[in-house]
Amino acid sequence: MDPSSRMRHACSLALLSLKHLSLGVWIIVTLFAISGLILLTKSDRPSENLQMWVFSPEHRAMYAPMIEELQDRTEGDEKPIDLSLLSREAIKNRTMSGFLGGLPTADLIEIERAYIGQFFQGPQEAIGFHDLTDRLKAEGLYDQINAPSLSPWSVNGRTYGLPHDVHPVMLAYRADLTESAGIDLTQATTWDKFFELLKPMMTDKDSDGRPDHYPLSMWITQQDNIELLMLQGGAQLFDTQGIPTINTETNAQLLAEIISWCAGPNPLGTDIDEFTAAGHKSRVDGDAIAYLCPDWMCSIWKMHVPGIAGKMKVMPLPAFTEGGRRTSVRGGTMLGIPKTTQAFGQSWETAVELYTAPEIARELYRMVDIISPIRSLWDDPVYAEPDPFFMNQQKGLMFIELAPDIPIRSSSPYNYNAVLEIRDSALNVMEWTKNQSDWTDDQLLEQVRSQLERAQGAIERQMSRNAFTGVESK
Amino acid sequence: MSVARPSKLSRSITHFVLIVLAIVVLLPYAWLLVASLKSREDFFSGMFFPPGDGFLGISWESLTLSNYTALMEMGFGRAAINSVFYASTSAVFATFICAATGYVLAKSKFRGRAFMTLVVLGSLIVPPTLLIAPSYELLFHLGLLDSVWGLLLPTFAPAFGVFLFRQAVQQSVPDELIEAARIDGCSEAGIFMVIVLPLIRPMIGAFLLITFLGMWNNFISPQIVLQTSSKQPLSVAISQLRGVYRTDYGLLMAATVVSVAPVAVLFLVLQKQFISGLTSGAVKG
Amino acid sequence: MMNRLSTNKTVFAWAALTPFILLFAFFMVYPLIQSAFLALNQTYGPDTRLFVGTKNFELLIEDPVFWTAIKNTLIYSLGSLFIQLPLAFGLALVLNSRRLKGRSIYRLIFFSPQLMGLAFVAVLGALAFEKRAGLVNRTLAWMMQDAALLEIDWLQEYIMSTLILISLWLYVGFNMIYFLAALQNVNNSLLEAAEIDGAGPLSKLRHVIIPSVRPVATFVVLLSMIGSLQLFELPYILLNGNGGPNNKGLTIVMYLYQNGFELGDLGYASAVGWALALMLILLALIQIRMVRKEEASR
Repeated sequence: MDPSSRMRHACSLALLSLKHLSLGVWIIVTLFAISGLILLTKSDRPSENLQMWVFSPEHRAMYAPMIEELQDRTEGDEKPIDLSLLSREAIKNRTMSGFLGGLPTADLIEIERAYIGQFFQGPQEAIGFHDLTDRLKAEGLYDQINAPSLSPWSVNGRTYGLPHDVHPVMLAYRADLTESAGIDLTQATTWDKFFELLKPMMTDKDSDGRPDHYPLSMWITQQDNIELLMLQGGAQLFDTQGIPTINTETNAQLLAEIISWCAGPNPLGTDIDEFTAAGHKSRVDGDAIAYLCPDWMCSIWKMHVPGIAGKMKVMPLPAFTEGGRRTSVRGGTMLGIPKTTQAFGQSWETAVELYTAPEIARELYRMVDIISPIRSLWDDPVYAEPDPFFMNQQKGLMFIELAPDIPIRSSSPYNYNAVLEIRDSALNVMEWTKNQSDWTDDQLLEQVRSQLERAQGAIERQMSRNAFTGVESK
Repeated sequence: MSVARPSKLSRSITHFVLIVLAIVVLLPYAWLLVASLKSREDFFSGMFFPPGDGFLGISWESLTLSNYTALMEMGFGRAAINSVFYASTSAVFATFICAATGYVLAKSKFRGRAFMTLVVLGSLIVPPTLLIAPSYELLFHLGLLDSVWGLLLPTFAPAFGVFLFRQAVQQSVPDELIEAARIDGCSEAGIFMVIVLPLIRPMIGAFLLITFLGMWNNFISPQIVLQTSSKQPLSVAISQLRGVYRTDYGLLMAATVVSVAPVAVLFLVLQKQFISGLTSGAVKG
Repeated sequence: MMNRLSTNKTVFAWAALTPFILLFAFFMVYPLIQSAFLALNQTYGPDTRLFVGTKNFELLIEDPVFWTAIKNTLIYSLGSLFIQLPLAFGLALVLNSRRLKGRSIYRLIFFSPQLMGLAFVAVLGALAFEKRAGLVNRTLAWMMQDAALLEIDWLQEYIMSTLILISLWLYVGFNMIYFLAALQNVNNSLLEAAEIDGAGPLSKLRHVIIPSVRPVATFVVLLSMIGSLQLFELPYILLNGNGGPNNKGLTIVMYLYQNGFELGDLGYASAVGWALALMLILLALIQIRMVRKEEASR
């Protein structure tokens, strides 16, 4: 057989055998061919553009026009910027796997506070983001930024991202309800006074077996709110060296007090979902009078709970002890520049432009009620605008007044785990209270102490596994 | 089987129980489908259809396809094409490679055959989860992270497929037939293509389907290997959608429908092969 | 002539084997060996590593989170198994009757959830089991006419029950198919003999049907165990990537994933992988043992 006829022979054999194949085989082979062809035409070359990842639709909406303007203003070798919206988890996963796998990520990445710890897990020199400390200092930005707002993004005095926000916390409350009940809540300088003032409103007039109005929307499962309250009371979960300090007397007393709000047959706090439609309905119904309200929460309510517009007011948080701190902090975002970027210069300039421009700061406040961490921008008239949602209070100024007081937060890679451990401790103590007919404050405190000891042990054990960070625990 | 004739009553009870169970199984599908047609405002009105004054007391006109168009605008179509490509490529290559290997291990006599069969069968007890971390490390060193081939190549040679095809060949390809073809002057490749493949046709169909389904539903490998969003399949794309649009139920529902519908159609067309394929035990857990 | 034929055969054999051997060596043999080495290191990603010897295993044994993960995984595996099997077997018995109208449609319906990938089931499950708005609580509240049922917090407080419920939906129909196949093997003459002896339906079940289904049941049990010990996607997506309160929903593979791909410690992840492998290999050995015994007694 000559080669060509052998080839023909083989081809006809192949065709013959194809005849015998079933429908399923045909479908899958066809799908293979079609999808392969489509993907061939779409084969994407890696984009030359600068990539930026954000997780908030509002941020995207704000940055897009600004970036366009930036591009028009500059000429020459600046690359166009692609702005992509991803979920927080997706950004974390992709950035982390990019850093670990040595793959290119975006050039500018917004990271949420809950996930930043993971990026500080390895040896400090292996952190995937550029150390921005010297730049920040050289350009005089370092001193302009509200000092406590740098803490979550700094390790051993080196800062790895530009802070996007301050996120101070106030108490937001249904002023329509308190005022018609004749209660002046601004008298509540401490939590004890706060609950005392609102107790008269806990009657069950509609007799559905629940008080008509709980004083506070706060529950033991809401780890963010527990952390917020603990921070307000001066809790430190890690010291400046990153050594866990979970099991301290201060922390135990704080946590015991917080638990006592939720425990027992007549709790003062209630479990209202913070972000679901069901929770929004509870807010309109006035199931709770007061809320722990970081600045960003205002915009969520404006968007999803229009029913409480003009009924709310804000005031500084009641303190744990007379004269104590009247605010706290919750959440936060930084903008980091990965070391893998090919265009550090342009990334840095864009980052500074986006995070320090007065227009963006103004837009940020108008659109999502977030105040800028740049102190020189704080006298912008936008913050003095009365807000009709909050009965025309100048809430921007009120938040700004509290901003320098927000607690310092740890950037420990284990902070998020520690917060989860605190929440679990609280849940376990709650479980204990359910099995008791009655208990004293001291017994409760004792339970909390032993739980915190457990939590401290769990975190120490996790940390002792890490040979890189060089933190020796006990 | 001869069973005493069941009474009418017991037969209706059986049907009643079966129908209730069938409803329990089907209810999530119905909910999914209807919710994907509801706008965000309507999601909480009515468990299924939004109430209104249309036919059956349902507000038909408030149903909308907007969730689907929104998905397409968000690049979900690309994820769907990726899913089709990964699943079908993996299925075609794995089937062909496993069929050839299984045939050779069953019928050819060569030195090392026993050893190789032992190794392949022995590897069946290695749980795939053990290989996740080292495979990731290997792909890193091969420079195959975030590449389509890094995702696909490891799926092309499942030992389980070799085992199935080796068995199928042993059971349904008689040695005499192969000998006869050889005497007729058929080439070795020709024997495989013309004689063997048609004889193991049921296994080919079944194995193609299970590898297709397995890859379509695979979540952990693309989640670890792929990084660029334009490369991601539906399984990863949908889980990432959940973060940003957590409150946009309709959109999530529509995304789930898009992810499940193609397999459902395939299933309805090919249910026999599907069931025999799946019960050969590959896709579970 | 004979000689040419046999070289032809060898050439074809090796040509057909080469792709498999290459892929198998790269993606099976090498990672398997490598996983043993990795388990002796602490890493931060694939490129930064530190030799720690057997420390990973020592830590693992003392790691309460790991034991929680094992406990959860076992609860899920056994819980879903012991509810699944009787249901699947019962359904198979009912659907095995030829006189039953619509049995192929029932079979199709019960089997269908198996087609939905776990990642998609998880997304749907997260919505269906949501407090207040979810399908499950709404149905319960509507059926019992009790609004308090809307508040059941499936995803946080009852995560294990949620996982087991979802697994029932997914796998009962699937295992039913195995039992249906097994019921085809029940010896009719034995059944008739039993009937002549005056055996009632219950004693027929006990003495004839169950013994002949037992090998399949063993197979199904072990297969389900092996699958469910590797549970990952469902809880991972349902709980947004963490283990839930007190790690109530953390499974072994989730813990492996967290360590390897979120914390970057492929070494510790490999150690977890080996621990799991040990459990699975043990199960596989039991299976081989039982199959042998079954064959010997035949």
